[in-house]
Amino acid sequence: MDYTALTEAMTSKSYDKVAEICNDLLLQGAAEGFAYNEDWPFAIHLLGLIYIDDINSARFVWKNVPRVVKENRPEVSAAWKIGQRLWTRDYAGVYEAIREFNGSPEAQAFVDSFSEVYTKRMFQLLLSAYSTISIQDTALFLGMNEEDATNYVLQHGWNVDPASAIFTVKKHAIITEQKLDPSKLQRLTEYVFHLEH
Amino acid sequence: MNLNMSSGESIVAQIQGLSTSPRDISQLHAFLKQSDDLIRSDSTRFAPLLTLLDPSIHSLGFLYILDACTSGPTPKEQANEHVCTIARFVKACSTEQIRMAPEKFVSICKKLKDQVMFLAAPIRGIAPMLTAIRKLQSSTEHLTTLHPDFLLLCLSAKCYKNGLSILEDDIYEVDQPRDFLLYGYYGGMICIGLKRFRKAMELLHHVVTAPMSNMSAIAVEAYKKYILVSLIHLGQFNASVPKYASTVAQRNLKNFTQPYLELAVSYGTGKVAELEACIRQHRERFQNDNNFGLARQVVSSIYKRNIQRLTQTYLTLSLEGIANSVQLNSPREAEMHVLQMIQDGEIHATINQKDGMVRFLEDPEQYKSCAMIERIDSSIERMMTLSKKLTATDELMSCDPAYLSRVGKERAPRLDFDDYDPVPQKFSM
Repeated sequence: MDYTALTEAMTSKSYDKVAEICNDLLLQGAAEGFAYNEDWPFAIHLLGLIYIDDINSARFVWKNVPRVVKENRPEVSAAWKIGQRLWTRDYAGVYEAIREFNGSPEAQAFVDSFSEVYTKRMFQLLLSAYSTISIQDTALFLGMNEEDATNYVLQHGWNVDPASAIFTVKKHAIITEQKLDPSKLQRLTEYVFHLEH
Repeated sequence: MNLNMSSGESIVAQIQGLSTSPRDISQLHAFLKQSDDLIRSDSTRFAPLLTLLDPSIHSLGFLYILDACTSGPTPKEQANEHVCTIARFVKACSTEQIRMAPEKFVSICKKLKDQVMFLAAPIRGIAPMLTAIRKLQSSTEHLTTLHPDFLLLCLSAKCYKNGLSILEDDIYEVDQPRDFLLYGYYGGMICIGLKRFRKAMELLHHVVTAPMSNMSAIAVEAYKKYILVSLIHLGQFNASVPKYASTVAQRNLKNFTQPYLELAVSYGTGKVAELEACIRQHRERFQNDNNFGLARQVVSSIYKRNIQRLTQTYLTLSLEGIANSVQLNSPREAEMHVLQMIQDGEIHATINQKDGMVRFLEDPEQYKSCAMIERIDSSIERMMTLSKKLTATDELMSCDPAYLSRVGKERAPRLDFDDYDPVPQKFSM
């Protein structure tokens, strides 16, 4: 089993590619007779899927983990715990599972990187879903204590009302550049031609 | 009749000698067809000769011998060996050569599928089967008899995502009707597993409305799942079977799927309690059909559906109001439901915790962005391709003698003698 592609992705921290590499390796290996046995890097595979927010596939990988691995390799169960919290949308629980994770140095680096990504994702969710939100809930959703959470959101332009312990969310206007390229004209011509005939 | 070694060796020599130019290969093909019975009758003698052949150069010869060696029941000890040999062959073989004997290629691939299922390791067959499909099919629009086998392997191994690649191809050519029904059914199940309900509905719909002269069990099972997926994805179910479905389907589908139709009716009331009662009542039936998990998803979806309905009546509503209306236990639960729906893009709203209110918003999509133009563009291009294919098929059909004789017979009695024209004009566009 040639793990070069996977090792390269891990060392270069291309974490978003890990899931696909794992999938390809697994299928190729399986075709050659290498079975889903204890040597397979389950924790990394699970974390790879969690990183790209494909919890559905992570669920199926977990179902295929042999019982002996579940019992003897706590790193794998700990990785799945993060996925499970994500699946049940236990937003605050995800941070708990992240904090409880204790694994090899490369798995730990993986989890730390995911933690940053997840915090940013949650912040975006709060931005789009709330007009006002309590300090307490913000701290829960961002996995920080109330003081750190307050500093984080104030930096992003939110306002705070200390009396009621409520933040007012500041939405950003999203300006995406709209550029039309000339090939569109060609395509429009083709459509008109097609409709006429 | 015993085969002496020199016959076996001479066949191998022929294969080795005639596997280079296309003309030689045709000659080889004719020779192999003649020798087929010979090879089959003493296949055990031929098995070791495979080591003398290179699967990538001598693909056709290798295929004939491999097919002979693997046909018939396989002893348990040999299953693993067969799987490895076939998998390696599929990976290495030359596409042009195997297409000369497609039935044999299909036969060894089906054997591969049987053996990996027997070994309870369906994942071993996924990569080889996908390679086999891509080599066998004349284009991505061609549905081979291996497509449903591949999907079955993906389902059994729970590697759902891998099945997607062939589900995304548009199909215009089908080898066998039964393959198409199974492809749609298994494909639907894969999409359900990936929560791609829109695509699942499309595939299941194809199965239900496919032409059939007798009621197909596959179509019945597909219809059951179709009802449940329709409730989950659209929040409603249209109980009338489309007019373009076969007459047997229109007449019989409802008789086989009563509990599911009742479920759809109770869903329509919007009352969670009624829906849950209906599920309890038919629980055994759903479980026997392996649809209980899907039925539970139907229940979860009714909360979403009821919240979405509120957006049609209210501009703002309190979290408590939502909880009461939708039969949730607390305003906090309502808040979490709304938050999840916002995360999934199922609703446009903002939550105001200070006042405990939710404000429902319009869809901010203006349909003016570049990304939207790309989407519309690609849809239009697909439509144009489809339209061209439809025109071509229509023209082909209007030249078909069977069609012409049928139309000619039907037209004759209704027209005057002067108008009688037994051959319809070809369509001019």
